[in-house]
Amino acid sequence: MASLPKRIIKETERLVLDPVPGINAVPHEDNLRYFQVTIEGPQQSPYEDGVFELELFLPDDYPMEAPKVRFLTKIYHPNIDRLGRICLDVLKANWSPALQIRTVLLSVQALLASPNPNDPLANDVAEDWLKHEDEAIAKAREWTKQYASRK
Amino acid sequence: MGNVPGKLENENAVRSNRSMSTSAALPHRTNGMNGARKARTSSMVGTILNSRRCSESSDLNPYKRKSTKDKERLKERHVKQLIVKHGESVDGGFLAPYGSSSIEKVDYDAGVVKSLILERRLAPFYTPLQDYDESWSHQELVKIVDGLPLHAPFSEDVEAFEGVPLGDLSQSDFDDLIDKSLSRREQRRMRSMIFNARLYRKRLLWQERENEKFLESKLEAKKPGARSNPCLPSDDLKFELYYKGVECPICFLYYPQPINMSRCCLQPICSECFVQIKRAEPHFPHDQDEDHKEEEEKDPNLLTSEPTNCPYCATSDYGITYDPVLTRKVGLQGIKPFSYVSGNLEPVESSEPARRRSLAATDRLVVTSDSLRPDWQVKLNKERMRLARRSANATAIHLSNQLVTPGHQASSNLQTHTVPSSNYHPEFAAAHAHDNGSLWPSNATAAEIENQMVEQAIKLSLAESKAAKKSSR
Repeated sequence: MASLPKRIIKETERLVLDPVPGINAVPHEDNLRYFQVTIEGPQQSPYEDGVFELELFLPDDYPMEAPKVRFLTKIYHPNIDRLGRICLDVLKANWSPALQIRTVLLSVQALLASPNPNDPLANDVAEDWLKHEDEAIAKAREWTKQYASRK
Repeated sequence: MGNVPGKLENENAVRSNRSMSTSAALPHRTNGMNGARKARTSSMVGTILNSRRCSESSDLNPYKRKSTKDKERLKERHVKQLIVKHGESVDGGFLAPYGSSSIEKVDYDAGVVKSLILERRLAPFYTPLQDYDESWSHQELVKIVDGLPLHAPFSEDVEAFEGVPLGDLSQSDFDDLIDKSLSRREQRRMRSMIFNARLYRKRLLWQERENEKFLESKLEAKKPGARSNPCLPSDDLKFELYYKGVECPICFLYYPQPINMSRCCLQPICSECFVQIKRAEPHFPHDQDEDHKEEEEKDPNLLTSEPTNCPYCATSDYGITYDPVLTRKVGLQGIKPFSYVSGNLEPVESSEPARRRSLAATDRLVVTSDSLRPDWQVKLNKERMRLARRSANATAIHLSNQLVTPGHQASSNLQTHTVPSSNYHPEFAAAHAHDNGSLWPSNATAAEIENQMVEQAIKLSLAESKAAKKSSR
C-alpha cells in the first residue's frame, strides 16, 4: 500500500483535536483510510436520542473522489436504503475536494434532521413519508429506539 | 440541454484565441535578456515547446483509431514529460509535478501545462513542505529546503504489478513476454499489464537518474572553492520562497507564495491539485427515467460532461490566475537561480492577492481546467459514437431477426403453412406485409431489404462523421 497522504494524516489529527459535537470518527488500526463513525440523531428529529454507527472509507483518489459512507445501524429514512447507502449530493455529483470528512459527516447529520422524500433512495419509505407523514415519523422513532439506542 | 452546443462552440473559440496568445507572447518576453543567456534559454524553451508541437501534429485526426503500439508510444512520451528535472526550473519551482505517482492523476496535456508555467500564468510545481513552523530560523529553513527531494519517493512494489514480468527495459519490444497460448483477449490484457508495469518502472528509473544528478550537483557545489552550479537556487531564493508558505486547502501541504487563486472566489490552490481537477467521465444526466434503460436504448446525444466547478464556491468553469512576483523571475526565461539576491523583502510582504475581484472564465489571465485537457470534447464525441454504434448494432440485429426469416412469423400467424425462406412466394409475403402494415414494399426480397438497410446504415454513419468533424473544429 502506498503511504498515507499528508492530507489524511492531518484531517485525522484535526478530527481528534477538534471533534465535531455529536460526531465521532476513529480510523481503523489496520487501515487508516477506514473510519468507524458514530453520529448522534439531531434534536427535534425522529432520530433524537439515537446513536447511529456508520463506516467511512477514503478511496485512493481521495480527495479528488468523495469518501464512501454507509449506515451500519438500521434506520428508517427516505434517503437511506436497507443496505445503509445514503443518497446525498455531496457524496456524489456535488463532491468537492475542498470538503472534508468533517463536512461530509455534518451533511449526513443534517440529512437526518431534514429528510427529503421527494428525492428518495428507499422508495417505500419515501412513499410512506409523503402519504402518512405522522405514521412514518412514528416508525422512524420506533426504529431509532429499537436499533440505535445508546449502549 | 438546449444551450449546450452553443456554449461548446464558444469555449472552442476562446481556446483557439488563447493558444494564439500563447505563441505570440513568448518572443516578447525573451527580448530583455542578454545575448548568450537568451540563446541558451530559448533553445531549452524551444525543445520543451517543440515536443508539444509535435504531439499536436501527430494527432491531426483525433478520431482516427490508434494502434496499440501508437498508444503505448504516446503514453510513454507523456510519462517522460512528468519527470522533474532540476535544470528545468521556473521561479524556484519545476515543470513537472512533485508527488503524483499514479499516471491517472496527472493525465493532463503536459505540453500545455509546461508552456503555461513558462509564461508564468500557472504557478510552477513547487516541492511542498510537509509542515511549516513559524519559529524556524532563517538558517533552519534554508537547510530544510536544501534537503527537499525533486520528487516524492515512489513505492517500489506496487500490488497491481506484482509478479508481472518486465523483461529487458532497454528494449522497446516486449512481445516475447506475452503468452501466445492465451486467447487474444487475454493476450491484450496481459500486454497492457506488462506495458504499465514496465512504464512505472521506467518512470521510477528516469526520475532516479534526475534525482542523482540533482544530488551530485548539490554535493559538488558544497565543495570548498567549487564554482556554484547556476541551476541551483541561492539561499536567498530558498528562504524567500518558503518563509510564509501557504497551506493548499486541498492537499494540506505548504507551498511558496504566490499560489494560484480561483478566478471566482480568490481561494488558493497548488498547481499539483489544480491539474488533477477535471471533468467527470461522459455520463447521462441524472434524475431521469433514462436511468432505468439499457445503455443501448439511450440517446447517445444526451451523453454529457459538465465543465468542472470551483471546489470552493461551486461556480462553473473552474479557472485560476497566477500573479508571479515580477522581481523574482528566475530559472527558464529569467535570471539564473544561483544568482538571485533578495531585495528588501517587500514583494513577499505584499503577498495579498493583487486582484480583488472575480474574473470571467474567458478572461485572458484565467487558466481553466478545461484548457489543460483540450481533448475533452474529442473524448465525449468518441463515447457518443461508441454508444451510437452499439445501439445501431443492437437495432440491426433486432431487425434482421424479424426480417430475414419472414417464414417464421408467417407460420406463427397462419399456423398451418411453413414456408422455407429460400423459396417463398411474393404473394404470400404481400399478404403478410399487408397484415402487419410493414414498411417494406410487398415484393421485397430478403436481399433487397438487406441492401436497403446497408444503405441506411451508410447514410447514418456519414452523417455521424460529418457531425463529429463539425464539432471537432
